[in-house]
Amino acid sequence: MNLNELHNVVKRDGIIFLSYGGFLSQSLIAAMTENLEREAVDNDLGMRLSNNIFIIFIELSQNMMKYTDEHKNISPLSESLILVGKDDQENYFVTSRNIVLNEHVADLNERLAELQSLDEGSIKKRYREMRRKVRETGGSGAGIGFYEVAKCAQEIEYEIIELDENTSYFIFRVMVGAKS
Amino acid sequence: MESITIESLFIEQTKYTPSISLDVEKQHFQIIGKSYPENTFVFYSETMAWLERYFTQSLDGKTVIDFEIIYFNSSSSKLFFDLLDLLEEASKQHQVEINWIYDEENETALEAGEDFKEDFESLVFNLVEK
Repeated sequence: MNLNELHNVVKRDGIIFLSYGGFLSQSLIAAMTENLEREAVDNDLGMRLSNNIFIIFIELSQNMMKYTDEHKNISPLSESLILVGKDDQENYFVTSRNIVLNEHVADLNERLAELQSLDEGSIKKRYREMRRKVRETGGSGAGIGFYEVAKCAQEIEYEIIELDENTSYFIFRVMVGAKS
Repeated sequence: MESITIESLFIEQTKYTPSISLDVEKQHFQIIGKSYPENTFVFYSETMAWLERYFTQSLDGKTVIDFEIIYFNSSSSKLFFDLLDLLEEASKQHQVEINWIYDEENETALEAGEDFKEDFESLVFNLVEK
């Protein structure tokens, strides 16, 4: 993404509190979360909205970090992008974009379509069932992580755009909600 | 039960991991802060192993466990579930009491506590507003 495109994103999406593109590490995620905490206090967001933003940001960032780490031989997997902002309707959102292997696309589609079909109560119920059943499998952790995100979100949208025969862009847009 | 010596354990808080204090003398265990480690199961493995050993002793009186977590990621949520599972097992032989401490403004933490309380009905589980 060049600077012009970034400028367009900012214009289209309202105010951006945080944007980062590149390789994600745990210490970077922690530093960005600290920054979001400061923004949340400055903007008087209240604890529920703040915590929801932090958790969604952390889940998506850590998910991208782990995915990239597990598939680092495929270039250019380090092209992760994450944005936290507020749209012109005062709704806070978190958007992420990363590259996924095409072999994982069907599974992603299936999981996210299921998630989108559930109402708030069913998401919470499924989350607790999964937490009870799923013991550490050593996997990417994407299973319960998406439910965590959905639990904290008002709405989730996603898009998968094929790049080439091996890889696709996975774009995830999470509406968190407005200040009450 | 055989007699074993267990020393207290203290792990300092970081930006993304809570402080953990396991006080043998006071029979008091505290976990305070935020929890989103890079590898949750590695981070908590020492604590889990310690607790398992701790409960193999014969204990007088109750052991109190305070959770005071501001927010946590999904793998920490799974880990806390396992931790409470361990405590529920231990409560069959020992007196165990959990305090889930939350800030009055932190509804998310309260709801998380309510869910855990429901999941572990046999535990003495107090929701404590700060």
